[in-house]
Amino acid sequence: MTASRVHGALRGKELILAILRWILIIFFAAYTLFPLIWLFISSLKTNFEFLSGSPFALPAVPQWINYTNALSVAGLGRMLLNSLFVGLCATVFNVIVASMGAYCISRFRFNGRERIFTLFTAGILVPLNALMVPYFVIINKLGLYNTYGGMILLYCAIGIPMSTFLIRGLMDSIPMELEEAAYIDGCGFYGRFFHIILPLSRTGIVTAATFEFLTCWNEFVFANLIVSSEKLRTIQVGIRYFTNQFSTDYVSMYAAIMISIIPSIIGYVLFQEQIIAGMTSGAVKG
Amino acid sequence: MKLERSDRAPLWAFMTPALVLMLVFFVIPVIYVIVVSFLKWNGINTPAFVNFKNFMLLFRDRAFKRSVINNVIWALVAGFIQVPLAMLMAIILSRKPKGWKFFRTVYFFPQVISGIALATLWRAIYRADTGLLNALLNSVGLGHLAKDWLGTIETAFPAVLIYWVFYVGYYMVIMMADITTIDESYYEAATIDGASDFQQAIYITIPLIKKTSLLTCVTLASVMGLRQFEQVYMLTNGGPANSTSTIVLYMYKKLQDANYGMASASAVILIIVGVIFIVCIRKIFEGRNEEAAAAKKARRALQ
Amino acid sequence: MKKLLSLLLVMIMIVALAVPAYAANDEIIINFPSVWVGTDSKAPYMAQLIENFNAENAGSIKVVVEEQSDYQAARDKLRTTITTGATPDLCIMDTTYDIKGYSEAGKFMDLTPYLEEGWGKDFADGAFDAWSVDGKVYALPFESAIFTPIYNTKIFADIGWDHFPATYDEFFQFCEDAKAKGYNAMGQMAGENAWSSMLWYSLIVEAIGGKDVYANGLQDPAFVQAAEVLKAMYDYTFEGAISAGAGDVNGHWLARDTAIYLNGPWWVANLYKEDNAVDGVLLADDCEVALNPTYEGGKGEGGLVTTVQAFLAAAKQDDPAKEAAVVKFLKYLTDPQHVSELALSSGAMFFVKYEPSPDTNLISQKLTEVANNAEFTILHVNGAFPTAVSTEFPAAVSALVLGEVDAQGFVDQLQLAIDMAE
Repeated sequence: MTASRVHGALRGKELILAILRWILIIFFAAYTLFPLIWLFISSLKTNFEFLSGSPFALPAVPQWINYTNALSVAGLGRMLLNSLFVGLCATVFNVIVASMGAYCISRFRFNGRERIFTLFTAGILVPLNALMVPYFVIINKLGLYNTYGGMILLYCAIGIPMSTFLIRGLMDSIPMELEEAAYIDGCGFYGRFFHIILPLSRTGIVTAATFEFLTCWNEFVFANLIVSSEKLRTIQVGIRYFTNQFSTDYVSMYAAIMISIIPSIIGYVLFQEQIIAGMTSGAVKG
Repeated sequence: MKLERSDRAPLWAFMTPALVLMLVFFVIPVIYVIVVSFLKWNGINTPAFVNFKNFMLLFRDRAFKRSVINNVIWALVAGFIQVPLAMLMAIILSRKPKGWKFFRTVYFFPQVISGIALATLWRAIYRADTGLLNALLNSVGLGHLAKDWLGTIETAFPAVLIYWVFYVGYYMVIMMADITTIDESYYEAATIDGASDFQQAIYITIPLIKKTSLLTCVTLASVMGLRQFEQVYMLTNGGPANSTSTIVLYMYKKLQDANYGMASASAVILIIVGVIFIVCIRKIFEGRNEEAAAAKKARRALQ
Repeated sequence: MKKLLSLLLVMIMIVALAVPAYAANDEIIINFPSVWVGTDSKAPYMAQLIENFNAENAGSIKVVVEEQSDYQAARDKLRTTITTGATPDLCIMDTTYDIKGYSEAGKFMDLTPYLEEGWGKDFADGAFDAWSVDGKVYALPFESAIFTPIYNTKIFADIGWDHFPATYDEFFQFCEDAKAKGYNAMGQMAGENAWSSMLWYSLIVEAIGGKDVYANGLQDPAFVQAAEVLKAMYDYTFEGAISAGAGDVNGHWLARDTAIYLNGPWWVANLYKEDNAVDGVLLADDCEVALNPTYEGGKGEGGLVTTVQAFLAAAKQDDPAKEAAVVKFLKYLTDPQHVSELALSSGAMFFVKYEPSPDTNLISQKLTEVANNAEFTILHVNGAFPTAVSTEFPAAVSALVLGEVDAQGFVDQLQLAIDMAE
């Protein structure tokens, strides 16, 4: 009898917890979806409606022409492809280089190891705006001004500290015993990296890749700085096509932003299944 | 693992690409920044060496002091409020409630939406005349609290900070990935022992992610807080009266003024503050290192 | 399959790294980063002009426009390229104060010999005086702008006023009346770059200090007095002006709840846009151009606030053929006939002397009249001082309005910004 009462009390508590849990889940969902919905509604207004009416009113007539505008006038199609190409290449290079570096820092003790890692971590802190002049010079000196290569190299490089940091964090949690066992079985440096560490740190690599790709996708300052040709412009430059010192076309800009978001959301949703697959096949903690 | 002789060559072969990129794109440019921080230079004239004058000017400037304070607050809030919130959501979603996949995707959206969109929305929410927040306050009879949220010195910085704290998706995803690697048998055993979800989170989940993804997220969030620029730039441009300024925004304004010396000096200070932060966070987490190891050992013995 | 895919990806990357953006050929390429693109009112005609030029010079010269629609990013990039010695062949500069510094630094082509050949006669008399260094012209003042209030006659009638205030005393009476009727007298903004407030401040400074107000930097007492007046204006603007940006000021003006609007002539085109009409009535039909009110005891009567909105400058060239090509394009661009059409299509004003088209809209005609009748002109505050002042202006004006600093403190704050930059 006592036991069942305890059980009942527990149930009541659990019910409250469950309600709280759902309140939280829904609050956060609403909070994050709101911007997207607002953006979509705003992108269907006229500039006059947007500027002079309430920002939360619905458009009188949905202006789908804003989307046509964004696609045709600003030429977003090509920019999307450029962003995709640059982002993917930079991300692949970035995670390859970063996971190789992270592997060394995480698994081996050698002179200067901690100093090197501090260097990498401090790299995350560097405010890149301050580096416009040196980056411009470096890219020019390498002959990569106004090339895909320049953008890919720069994006790959500026993401190295972050990616190394994220991947190392995960590699550290892989038990040493696993690798030692492989070593005893005669597995060499490369073998251990490719067959043990790399598969097990997939989660970290995917996280780093997501971050790196989004950085590339949302980067504007350097995309504008080291490229001059229209053919190479990326999506963030396209979004700003409608901003102007004195006459910003807000609604077309929002349409452009919507267009720029859709591929990354689709990409993320599709990619996510891969991430989960990677995670569940990964190591078990304990 | 000890470094074997046979590993030495491949080790450096593996390190080299990352090191070269770091050297070219971070070490050399940062040395440039440090050098410029001691110069009086506008980009077109001949630079003049001015010793520590740029740093002295910075510390005499109220706007810069405000920026440093704001950044420190931002980093602390990010590390110790935003990340715990993210952790809470990660724990909740990792128990796989109905539709968890959907929510996990949704929470990540703000990372995907460009900063311009978020900033414009929140400006519209905080607006004095047609703003949503004031409308909300009016409708619940708190109309006297309505104000120009981003135009009042007392509320502008909290307003900028608070809206952003609840965008937890990125850290949540990192921690969820970590939590899914925890052996299910722990939870099964705990459930049999009658431990509630809450107890399981406190005694199993948190200790097991503390040294890994939690540390990663706290460090990352603090660093992001210190580097904060885009949101402030687009939401308030540092106003009113520099009350929402951050170090990077301050630096950016000095760059616009072609005051390369002071801009570089503020970048140097940002890096110094950041390193202090990273070291402190590591210390905090490592302090409980043995404690966590002991807990892990105890659990292993139980099994 | 996976391996094949990754192999393919790597190959694509290598190809991408190796292929240059475009192949070189014999024609002279003029690289021209331009902000007159996208939604800018000068964009359509500029594009046509450049296309025509390229067609006329096919095979020998080609102007390649680098679109820079974001002004701030354009400035950042321009400064970076000039600093690192990669000055674009042709550039548009809008940082008035810095123009001399750039000219002195020897980064720009000396245009004096070409101007002396007769080209210079196309420009307004004395256009180069303030900007030449040792008698040499390195940057052509091209686009000009005047700043004078435009007001909504319908709202004025509703408030019971049939004329624009002639003095600032009268101006504040009007403000009171407007407020009583529920209208905003004018739009102010202390957010973003505080553009509208900077313009109003310039107008007041002109009204008080007159022609030589900038002669001693910020020392003139007019700056402190003007700050008081500017602060008082914030009582008669819309709610939330402290955090407002250009979008808010324009939005209120378009919503017909604000009586007076202050911006450059490029904005006139918006008054004639069908999109901004209400009940089929164009905003322009309700608009009238006014003069800056005078200030009691002030020295500003007959004065006008103007600026050089854009300079054209060219990079120093080693190759005489290229130099000739750049000059050829510059002459083409500043050709009075072309400028006339550019003015017609955009509403902007220029330093080039041209015959205005008979199709010019009424408001633009009136603005030109105001410009021609001015006894003297002064620059707006942003143009007259180092960039540091325009950067600090939003912070200073919000501090002033919120009572963090008094009028003297406001001026001190701007002065401190100048001191730090120098």
